[in-house]
Amino acid sequence: MTRTAGAARWLTRRALFALLVVAGVTTFTFILIHLAPGDPIYLLAGDGGNASYYNEMRAKYGLDLPLLEQFVRYARAVMSGDFGHSFMYQQPVLRVLLDHLPATLLLGGTSLLFAVALGFGAALLCVTWPVRVVDAAVRGAASIAFSAPVYWTGQVFILIAAVKLGVLPAGGITSARESLEGFRYAGDLFWHLLLPAFTLALPFAAVVTRVSRASMLETLREPHVRAALARGLSRPRLILRHVARNASIPVVTLVGQHAAQLLAGAALTEALFGWPGVGHLVLHAGAHRDYPLVTAAFIFISAGVVFFNLLTDAATAWLDPRVRLA
Amino acid sequence: MTLVVAVGSDPGALNPAVTTSGSTHPITDQIFNGLVGLDEQLQPIPELAERWSVEDGGRTYRFTLRPGVKWHDGTPFTSADVKFTFEEALLKYHSRTRAALEGLLATVETPDDLTAVFRLKRSYGPLLQRLDVVEASIIPKHQYEGHDLLNGEPTRRPVGTGPFRFVSYSPADRIILERNPTYFREGMPGIDRLVFRILPNSASAVAALESGEVDYTVSVPGPDIPRLQRTPGISVVKSAGGSGGSACQDVLIPNLTRQPFTDVRVRRAIAHAIDRQFLVERVYFGQGRPATGPISHLMSWAYNADVRQYPHDIAEARKLLDEAGLKPNAGGERFTVTFTHGANLQRLGQALREQLKAVGITLNLEMLDFSAAVDRVFAKKTFDLGLASYCNGADPDIGVRRVYVSSNIGPYPFSNGASYRNPTIDRLFDEGARLLDKNSRREKYVEIQRILADEVPYFWLVDTETLRAHRGTFTGFRLWTGAFAETVRPVPATTR
Repeated sequence: MTRTAGAARWLTRRALFALLVVAGVTTFTFILIHLAPGDPIYLLAGDGGNASYYNEMRAKYGLDLPLLEQFVRYARAVMSGDFGHSFMYQQPVLRVLLDHLPATLLLGGTSLLFAVALGFGAALLCVTWPVRVVDAAVRGAASIAFSAPVYWTGQVFILIAAVKLGVLPAGGITSARESLEGFRYAGDLFWHLLLPAFTLALPFAAVVTRVSRASMLETLREPHVRAALARGLSRPRLILRHVARNASIPVVTLVGQHAAQLLAGAALTEALFGWPGVGHLVLHAGAHRDYPLVTAAFIFISAGVVFFNLLTDAATAWLDPRVRLA
Repeated sequence: MTLVVAVGSDPGALNPAVTTSGSTHPITDQIFNGLVGLDEQLQPIPELAERWSVEDGGRTYRFTLRPGVKWHDGTPFTSADVKFTFEEALLKYHSRTRAALEGLLATVETPDDLTAVFRLKRSYGPLLQRLDVVEASIIPKHQYEGHDLLNGEPTRRPVGTGPFRFVSYSPADRIILERNPTYFREGMPGIDRLVFRILPNSASAVAALESGEVDYTVSVPGPDIPRLQRTPGISVVKSAGGSGGSACQDVLIPNLTRQPFTDVRVRRAIAHAIDRQFLVERVYFGQGRPATGPISHLMSWAYNADVRQYPHDIAEARKLLDEAGLKPNAGGERFTVTFTHGANLQRLGQALREQLKAVGITLNLEMLDFSAAVDRVFAKKTFDLGLASYCNGADPDIGVRRVYVSSNIGPYPFSNGASYRNPTIDRLFDEGARLLDKNSRREKYVEIQRILADEVPYFWLVDTETLRAHRGTFTGFRLWTGAFAETVRPVPATTR
């Protein structure tokens, strides 16, 4: 069998599997959010109404139907590409999600870059400069970065950088006081991006540090590396040429899995910094029992996770010739 | 000058006449107007209506509209907009206004462009208090006609008559408004741009205020109050009202259909066991005053302090519980009840647990998210003790009545959660609403307060006041009304 045919079969199988996963997640989310106590009507329409008003509103949004019927209607609509209307925003759910997606991609992407640069850099530092103190310091810092919740680190960063030093903004995606354009807008955006991206990057940077450090040390013990060392290749050159590439394979896998998580998992950071992304949106929608928005968000997030996993597997195969797609 | 305001959540659709949402109104109350405004004592003052007369023994209200008012798109404002707003929006979708007026308002007549006549089925005293921008924003007929009022195109590009015009809305990020140069009130507003920045985390909002990114924040987390009060350049101010509701009280709700709350001696014992002063100081960080009854002291014309009092008195509480036959067991325990509350009330729950423990009552804390707690207490009614912030609003008939009359026993939120029934109270509230003269109305509410304080169907904890904070670069915030921004102006640099 050729490699291409194998890849095609692999892709079909994985795509079918992905569909099943997404359908499962949809059903589960739909049932869970509808069964959770709380009624969207109160937050949507407000307080102080009377029974006839609330009944009318419930009927208007189809919430008076039996759950099974609501589910069948919803599933039918989704299959024809209609994800419904958000209760909170009174707009098509798809549009609301797309509105929030760029901010999430920007924050997630930047934090991934930060995390990989920081984590890989720290690991390189440990192996090229094999001093006990450096190694212990890096490992200690990684432990702290991994265990501190972003909610806490973020607040500390805001207090130091925004309130005490006044060098970085406390929140938002761009300055609210003025409307900037062109390069000044981009600069302002970058300025606002630094703190949340760094906050979000820290725990993952810790993981990258530990994984790549371990993998580099393992590669260093391989016979071909030791032979190169014996031939007189300097340690820094050896590490850059032979060790770093090998060590990057597990990191790629990690990045892939983490990228998928970031689609949903940046909620706390986004809420803390007032970052207008999907995570913040889902948090808000959940609290308001915005059923269509929550369900659709989970459909897209699960589809994203499946997609990134697929991408990761493909990338690993490309980096490591021993892996075959079949 | 741009004023940047931090708000906690996204407003969603921007039609104020179809919702009471505390996320929508802080924004739209700057864009729209009511027929009347409310002064600091919550008395009606002219707004879109220049003057009015009450005829026919309180069954007819005749409004003369202000001439020359234009919508932000240039179209003249007329009585047709008033009729449309009430008939198509408020009476269909605005929960509070509909509940109050649907059996009361017969017609809105428009004899000419500048006259609107409200004909009621019976006399009604507090109508004017229901016509401000929070309870009854007037929306443009020409924009909304033929559109869905809940999610049509105009809900995304609101056109009002108010001091600020809508510019743009980026969800979860900001809403930008600009000065309406043809606003009917001379010389207002005093700022060029008004930007609402959405910062869901209140600690971050305070940080943004301190760093100067935000000029005004509508709430201050308790622990931050002392620090902010010491910060130069920041003013911390008390507010009794706003778009979220005015003259609010935090009230503990006993389920009166369950033992042992059916016994008035038990309720009185609990009222004596609760140390309100402690709650005000340690749980509310001084944001309020111990409550004495069903009407907040902030509604001064109706408030009456001369009612049965429940000072913190453990001995008295124990005595009353003994009388009710709820003697302590060997462990000193009399009975156990569960307090169902939202996650934001954790501190309050802990304080109450300690206070009730002192008289032998064990309080289980059941912490749920806000929606779930509301659902359990008001809709399912499967609870012992719950809590709500009941806002009096601009009149006892708006925010007090709904808590105590038997016709409003749920199942929906912020109704008569305790399921309290008393025909005398029902009658007194009806009478209070029909009278026109404030002094005669006061008599009814004084009597209501006397009876309710005697029966304690609820435990009134704190008349809450919210602290808001703004930078010293601005002044003139109208803190009692939803339309807070109209009078804001920059402080000249020399006087700062």
